[in-house]
Amino acid sequence: MTDYAIANPLREPKETFRRYAIFGLCAIIVLAVGKDIIIDKTDWERMGTLQEMIKTALFFVPEWSFFPKTVLPLLETLLIAIWGTILAVVVSVPIAYLAARNITPLPWITYPLGRGLIVLSRSTHEIIFALIYVSALGLGPLPGILALATRSVGFLAKTTAEAIENANPGPIEAIEATGANRVMVFCFGVIPQIDPILVGNVIFQLDINIRRASILGLVGGGGIGLMFAEVMQNLQYSRAGVIVVGITGMVVIGEFISNRIRQRLI
Amino acid sequence: MALLDISRLKKTYGNGEIALKGVDVSVEAQEVVALLGLSGSGKSTLLRCVNRLVEPDSGQIVLDGVDITSLNKSSLRNARRNMGMIFQEFNLIDRLTVLENVLAGTLGVTGTLRGIFRAFHGDDIQRALELCERVGIIDHTRKRADQLSGGQRQRVGIARALMQHPKILLVDEPTSALDPKIGREVMDLLKSITKEAHIPMLVSVHDIVLAKNYSDRIVGLQGGEKIFDQPTASVEAEALDQIYHEASSQTAYSSD
Repeated sequence: MTDYAIANPLREPKETFRRYAIFGLCAIIVLAVGKDIIIDKTDWERMGTLQEMIKTALFFVPEWSFFPKTVLPLLETLLIAIWGTILAVVVSVPIAYLAARNITPLPWITYPLGRGLIVLSRSTHEIIFALIYVSALGLGPLPGILALATRSVGFLAKTTAEAIENANPGPIEAIEATGANRVMVFCFGVIPQIDPILVGNVIFQLDINIRRASILGLVGGGGIGLMFAEVMQNLQYSRAGVIVVGITGMVVIGEFISNRIRQRLI
Repeated sequence: MALLDISRLKKTYGNGEIALKGVDVSVEAQEVVALLGLSGSGKSTLLRCVNRLVEPDSGQIVLDGVDITSLNKSSLRNARRNMGMIFQEFNLIDRLTVLENVLAGTLGVTGTLRGIFRAFHGDDIQRALELCERVGIIDHTRKRADQLSGGQRQRVGIARALMQHPKILLVDEPTSALDPKIGREVMDLLKSITKEAHIPMLVSVHDIVLAKNYSDRIVGLQGGEKIFDQPTASVEAEALDQIYHEASSQTAYSSD
């Protein structure tokens, strides 16, 4: 008994064997899958030499004279992100109200409903939502906005619901004790407790949505992505280079501003 | 008939803890009744049953002729407007200003839209300022509630409860989160205000000295049962001792 207590349990022979077996198995699976999907399924003949690869990459060297034409689509992308986020906030607060265990009005019905909506929103990619909205509403920024909003509701409602669940029950109880109705208990007892968290998450979501908005155009959702798809189809790689730089710049600026704001909030 | 009449009140919590085993308490108009007992004696549960923050299992609570226990949700809200509650942990909304916290006392009678936008009526604001003056926090009305000291925070809680024009004050361990000196100041304030405004008060305490100095009548609770109920002047030391003597043999002498 004492021997076992002193000895490092990791060194116990059976345990060691099991660890190696699991490691080995994982390694075999990774290598086998790697061989199948990378080595076998790549068209090595077509890839060409390193020199040719560098030559292709140089096609993307930005053609700066094209830059002014990207400004408006970039701005549109930013607006899609902002509108999608605003819409998501408006929808997510009532969903969070349903999905917060401590205040949901009818725990057996509204709680699963709220959680279900959150899962629905979070489990689907924004491109899929965009495809659905584009086929329903046609091309343009509106389906893009709706796709982002639908995708963002889940994250915002989930984090808000969690903040509500972690809220101090004391003030909520105090407002209930004044005879206030449910809406006022929520607005007075709950919202002031969660609004710093809510604002922080909204800004974080906006930051992510700027990135998401830049690809919605690929499926007809408006913004810079549409222009990117066009120039790629026309093999205008140097213009694609300009767009990539533009998107990167916008995302970096967005991230910088959002970090600044969130730091100030905390 | 007494202003508040509680009879045969029972409550067992979901976890099986029996909090009240059929307690009768009544509060006359303008009377200060102290509920004296240790943690777990059921005094907080009793207070919370009066405005049904805790739902009693059985028994009856009648406030000014209204049977509280039989009310539906919206009538309960109406009834709650008549009961000002003051809490051990103050239960202020930290991120709102002192004045907004006091005005929260009017939410029961303020329209929903006005409440949401914090657009309170002018005369309510006037009254809130008067109450801030009365409880001694008039210099802090624009500060956020979490910037105040404990004693000041409890004064905000008192002003909020008075804002309701209550028929009765339900006060749950008002001084437990405060140091003794500040606690006595808060009790002095509560006593003088209830005398001025002729409001009766049901207050739970675990400190015998506070109960003796500030109440007209003491109700002793132990393990969910009433063990005595006498005018403060005639409560015998033995009765008080019994509460604490019993406690030393229990393990329930825990946090408060």
